[in-house]
Amino acid sequence: MLSWLTEPFASPIVQRALVELLILSLACGPLGVWVLLYRDAYAAESMSHGMLPGLVVAALAGAPLLLGAVAGVLVAATAIALVARDQRLGADVGVAICVSTLFGLGGMLALSPASPPRLQELLFGDLLGIGGGDVAVAGALAGGVALALLAGHRSLALVGFDRGSAPSLGARPLRWELALLAVLAVTTVAAVQGLGNLLLVALVLAPATAALSLARRLAAALALSVALSALAGTAGLLLSFHLEVAAGASVAACAVAMALLALLVPAGRLSH
Amino acid sequence: MSLDLGAPYVQRALLEMLLLALPAGLLGSWIVLRRLAFFTHAVGTVSFPALVLASAWGIAPQLAALAAALGFGVAQERLERTRRLGADAATGLLLVGALAAGVVLASDVFESGTEVDTLLFGSLIGLSASDVWLTALVAAGAVALDAGLRRHWLGAGFEPAGARALGLRPVLADRMLLAGIAAAAIVALSAVGALLVTVVLVVPAATARLLTDRLASLQLAAIALAAVEGVAAVWLADSLNVGAGPALAVLGGTVFALVAVATALRARAVPA
Amino acid sequence: MKRVDAGAHPREGRSGARGVVVRGLSGGYEPGRDALSEVSFAAEPGQIVGVLGPNGGGKTTLFRALLGELPIRRGEVELPGGPAYVPQTERARLDFPVSALDVVLMGAYARTPWFRRIARRDRDAARAVLERIGLADEADASFGALSGGQRQRVLIGRALLQDAPVLLLDEPLSGVDGVSAARIDALFAELRAERRTLLVATHDVRQAGEWDRVLCLHGRQVDYGRPAAVLSPETLRETYGAELIVLEGGGRAVGVGHHAH
Repeated sequence: MLSWLTEPFASPIVQRALVELLILSLACGPLGVWVLLYRDAYAAESMSHGMLPGLVVAALAGAPLLLGAVAGVLVAATAIALVARDQRLGADVGVAICVSTLFGLGGMLALSPASPPRLQELLFGDLLGIGGGDVAVAGALAGGVALALLAGHRSLALVGFDRGSAPSLGARPLRWELALLAVLAVTTVAAVQGLGNLLLVALVLAPATAALSLARRLAAALALSVALSALAGTAGLLLSFHLEVAAGASVAACAVAMALLALLVPAGRLSH
Repeated sequence: MSLDLGAPYVQRALLEMLLLALPAGLLGSWIVLRRLAFFTHAVGTVSFPALVLASAWGIAPQLAALAAALGFGVAQERLERTRRLGADAATGLLLVGALAAGVVLASDVFESGTEVDTLLFGSLIGLSASDVWLTALVAAGAVALDAGLRRHWLGAGFEPAGARALGLRPVLADRMLLAGIAAAAIVALSAVGALLVTVVLVVPAATARLLTDRLASLQLAAIALAAVEGVAAVWLADSLNVGAGPALAVLGGTVFALVAVATALRARAVPA
Repeated sequence: MKRVDAGAHPREGRSGARGVVVRGLSGGYEPGRDALSEVSFAAEPGQIVGVLGPNGGGKTTLFRALLGELPIRRGEVELPGGPAYVPQTERARLDFPVSALDVVLMGAYARTPWFRRIARRDRDAARAVLERIGLADEADASFGALSGGQRQRVLIGRALLQDAPVLLLDEPLSGVDGVSAARIDALFAELRAERRTLLVATHDVRQAGEWDRVLCLHGRQVDYGRPAAVLSPETLRETYGAELIVLEGGGRAVGVGHHAH
C-alpha cells in the first residue's frame, strides 16, 4: 500500500511536478477564496482562456513561455476591461465575445502553420515536462502572490464584506478590487505552464470552493484552501502515474471532484 | 487561394454555415438580449468529454452532446440549490471539470492530439451529410420557435413578474429558449468546435445589436452577418487548413471590433 | 470615480467643540447634477440628529459627503475626525465567513498597520463591545446566522470599536426586533452621554421626534432644528411630497408610506 503512494514520487520528474504544485497551492489556495468571495470566477476563467494567443506566439517564436503568458494576460485583461464597459451589450456578452475571439485567434495561430507548436501543452499544461528553472519562476511568482494576499488580507476582507463602509474603515474598494485582479493575473501566469490555460482555473476555484464549504472563519478558509489544493495536486499526480493519464488534467479533475464532494455534503455535519 | 466549390466537403461546409446563420440570427439575438452568452458557451464546453466518448464508442456526437447538456443542466441546478456557490462559480467549476475529464478520457481513447484539436476547434472536412441534415432540422426548429415564442421572450425579458399578468407563460417559454439555444450549440459543435460555439451564435448577433435597437432588424441583420461571415470563414479556414471555428472567431471578432469602435465614435460625435 | 471640485476646495477643519458643522454643502455624483444643495446645520456633541427624507432625497448623499466619498462636493464641512458609518444590514454580505467578533474587530483595522497583528487591547475592547451590545454569547456565531436585529447591533458594535466622535447610522431601527431595538436605543443614550454626535437617517417620524434635532432633506435642506418646531405637516409635506400619510388629526403627521428599498 505504501509503495503505491511513494512509487510515483521516486522519479525526479514527478518530484519536480509535486514541488511546482505545492508552491502553486500557496498562491492559488488563498487567491481562490478571494476570487469566490469577490464573485470574480468569470473574470478568472476569461483571463486564462483569453491569453492563448500570447502563449502560441511565444511558442512559435521560440520565446520563453513566461513572456507569452504575461503578454497574453495583459492583452486579454485590457480587452476584457474595455468591452465589459459597453452598456449596450452587457458585460456577459462582451466578455464572451472577447474571450472567444482571442481563443479562436490562438487556435488559428497554432493550427495553421506547417510545423505547429504543441497546442495540447499550452491548453492542458506540461506538468511533467517543466524544468527546474520553470519551477523557480513559478515559485517566485506564487510566493509573491501569497505574500501580497497575506499583507492585504484585512483590506480585502473589509471591501469584500461591506464595500460601502470600507472607506470609513480604511480601505478604498476600487483599489483593492483591481489589486485582486492583478494578483489573479500574476497567478494565471505562474500556473499556466504546469496546468495549461484551460485547466489552471480548476486549481484556483475548486480547492477554495471546498474550503469555503467547510470552514466558518476566513482565516481557516484561507489555510484550508492551501491544504486542499496541495492534496488535490498530490492525488492528481498519484492517479496520473497509476492510471497513465495526463498529469495536469488529473490534478484538475481531482480538485473539481473534491469541490463537488464538499458541496454535496450537508453543511451541518462539518461546521467548525 | 480560391475555394474549390466542386469539392463535397466544401459544399457541406458552406451549406452548414448558411444553415447555422438562421439560429445564429434568430436565437443569437435572444442570447444577446437576454444575456445568455455564458450559458451558450457552457453547453458547448461540457460536450467535450461526451464527444470523446462518442468517438470511442461510435455513437453520434450530437447525441452525446445532448446528454452532456442535460447533465450539465441538472448538475448546475443541483449546485445552485446548495446555495453555497454563486452561479458563475458553479458553472466555471463544472466547465473546467468537464474539460479535465475530457482530457483524461482522451489520453486513453485517442492516439494523437489532433482528434482533441478537432473536437475543440471544429473541422471543415469532418462534416458529414447527417451533420448538415441535423443542422437544417435545428434551423427550421429555430424559425418555428422564434415565430411562436418571441412574444413571450420579449415580455419575460422586460419584466418577468408583469409578463405573467399579461397572460404570457415566461417560465415555460424560457425553458424552450434555453433548449433551442442548446440545440443550436449542439449542431454548431461539429463545424466550429466545442469551445467556440459563441463565435457563431453570439458574435454576429452582438455585432448587429450595436447597429440597431429593433428586434426585427436585429434578427435580419444578424442572419445576414452570420451568413456572410460564415461563408468567408469557410474560405479562410480552407486556405489556412484550420477548422471553421478559429477562422470565424477572427473574422467575426474583427468585424465586431470595427463596428464597436465606429459606433462608439459616432455616438461621441453626436451631441447628447 | 473622479473627484471634481467645482469651485473652492471644501474646507474641512476641526471644530473646537467636536460637533458637526456643515455650511452650504452641495454636491452629487456627476458634474452639473447636484443631488444635494445648500445644506447647512450644526450639531453639538452629545446630540442625536434625525435625518428625514424620501428615498433618493439626499440622506445617503449627505452621509457620503460627510465621509468624504462624494465625487463632487462644495461648501464647508467641519468634523472632529473621520466619522464611523453604520449601514443597513442588507449591505453586508451574509455569506462571508466571519463571526460577530470578526466584524466588530473590523473597527480596529484602520488604526492597525498592515504588518501588525491586531493589538491585544483592541481584541479586549472588541469583546467589551460585544458585551455592551448584548451579544457576548454570540461572539463566535457566524454573522450570517444572526437575526437582522443582531446583525444591526454587530454593525453598530463595529462603529463603536472605531471610537469615532461622530457616527452616521443608516436606518438602524428599520425591521429590527423588539429586543434589538431596545438595546440600540439604550446604546444611543450611552453614546449621547459620551458626548458623541449621532446622525441617524430614518423613516420613522415619530422616533425622530424624540431626538435632539431633526434635519429634513429633499434634494435640498427643507428645515433643521428642534423636532417640535420642524415636524409640522407643512414641512413634512415639503420633505416627502406624495409619500406622506397623515394618520392623526390635529395637525400632527405621524406616518410616512414608502416602498421597501
